[in-house]
Amino acid sequence: MADKQLACMTCEPKGLCGGRGLLTLKEGAWANNPLAIQILGICSALAVTNRLENSLVMGAALIFVCVGSNLLVSLLRKRTPHRIRMIAEVAIIATFVILFDQFLKAFYWDMSKQLGPYVGLIITNCIVMGRAEAFALQNPPVLSIVDGVANGLGYAVVLAIIGFFRELLGTGEIFGYEVLSGQWYTPNQLMILAPGAFFALGIVIGIFNAIKGPVAEEKK
Amino acid sequence: MKGSLYALVYAAVLGAVCALLLTAAAGVTAPYRQANAEAEETLNILMVLNVPLEADISAKQLGEVFKNNLREAERGGITTYLYSSPEAQGRIQAIALRFSGPGLWGPIKGFLALEQDMKTIRGITFYEQEETPGLGGEIVTEGFRKRFVGKTIHDKDNNVGIVICKPGSAKEQNEIDGITGATMTCDKVQAMLNEAIKSIVEEKQ
Repeated sequence: MADKQLACMTCEPKGLCGGRGLLTLKEGAWANNPLAIQILGICSALAVTNRLENSLVMGAALIFVCVGSNLLVSLLRKRTPHRIRMIAEVAIIATFVILFDQFLKAFYWDMSKQLGPYVGLIITNCIVMGRAEAFALQNPPVLSIVDGVANGLGYAVVLAIIGFFRELLGTGEIFGYEVLSGQWYTPNQLMILAPGAFFALGIVIGIFNAIKGPVAEEKK
Repeated sequence: MKGSLYALVYAAVLGAVCALLLTAAAGVTAPYRQANAEAEETLNILMVLNVPLEADISAKQLGEVFKNNLREAERGGITTYLYSSPEAQGRIQAIALRFSGPGLWGPIKGFLALEQDMKTIRGITFYEQEETPGLGGEIVTEGFRKRFVGKTIHDKDNNVGIVICKPGSAKEQNEIDGITGATMTCDKVQAMLNEAIKSIVEEKQ
């Protein structure tokens, strides 16, 4: 996997992140974007992106969970018995996910109702588990936080892009406000439905890869 | 062996810490969550009965409006709410009944309101559902709920029951257009509504 290379990259040790902070951020959010490049976690990306607001909250949830679980897994990395490390990771991830879910239920009731089961399903999101396994287990806490932010952000931005276009084209609205006037724009219901999610995600992945170029494939 | 014991202790400690954290969080948020759920329910009952409400009403005021206008009653084994505003002097203006049943992912709960003739649908709301956002989840939208208003709970031959049919094919007085891509949810909603309607109608006879 490409992120192995990242974890082993030796930069001169300086600062809190050992000089690898910026690189880690760039890798997670752009060059190795979990959604657009690694194609992980697309289930939720397809399901909740029919409205921009839902997409943003879901992105925030993933950033929170990713940062929290990366930090804890990294702090415990030298004490965690190798054999049960994955169970430990899942327990930590589940804790953070439920915390966020409770928070939504208590203070953002309407949003919690909208997202329904998908907040809880972050527990099984491959991105979170993947970062804990591939990065946090081998790296110090601060750098792991950076990695969590980077990957969470990478996911959130792609979700926001998809959510923006699906809501705009599917309902003619943004954040529930009419943008494309109903007088001349007929909302394309397809964008709200599941096929619209596949189209939007496919196009975004295509654009990401086109900009990044095919070099990444060969490097592996 | 020593390694196993360590792993066991590690798992126990980690599990305990996580459980403690979650218990604490649940305890802290419980009153908020409960208040949200209760306010949601009250608001739903008032909305489905079309009780006039101010736009930005607080949870406390909601409770007062509820007390002034509604009376709870058991009918046919289900909870109903009789709407009689102070101006109506005891005359019942509408009735709301609670319905619930299994949805696609989790339970669906809501209220159905009937006009005083006990035949015409006045409104419908859903206060608990975990349907797929964007598909079955669309049952909560005004657009879908409005389709029920004015329909009757029996067809023209007086057979009790409503039908949620394919979008765009509703013709009869008891037929309601469903949602594209949410056939399963619509079928389940139809079943739970008919169950509640039947118990009310049977009680009346």
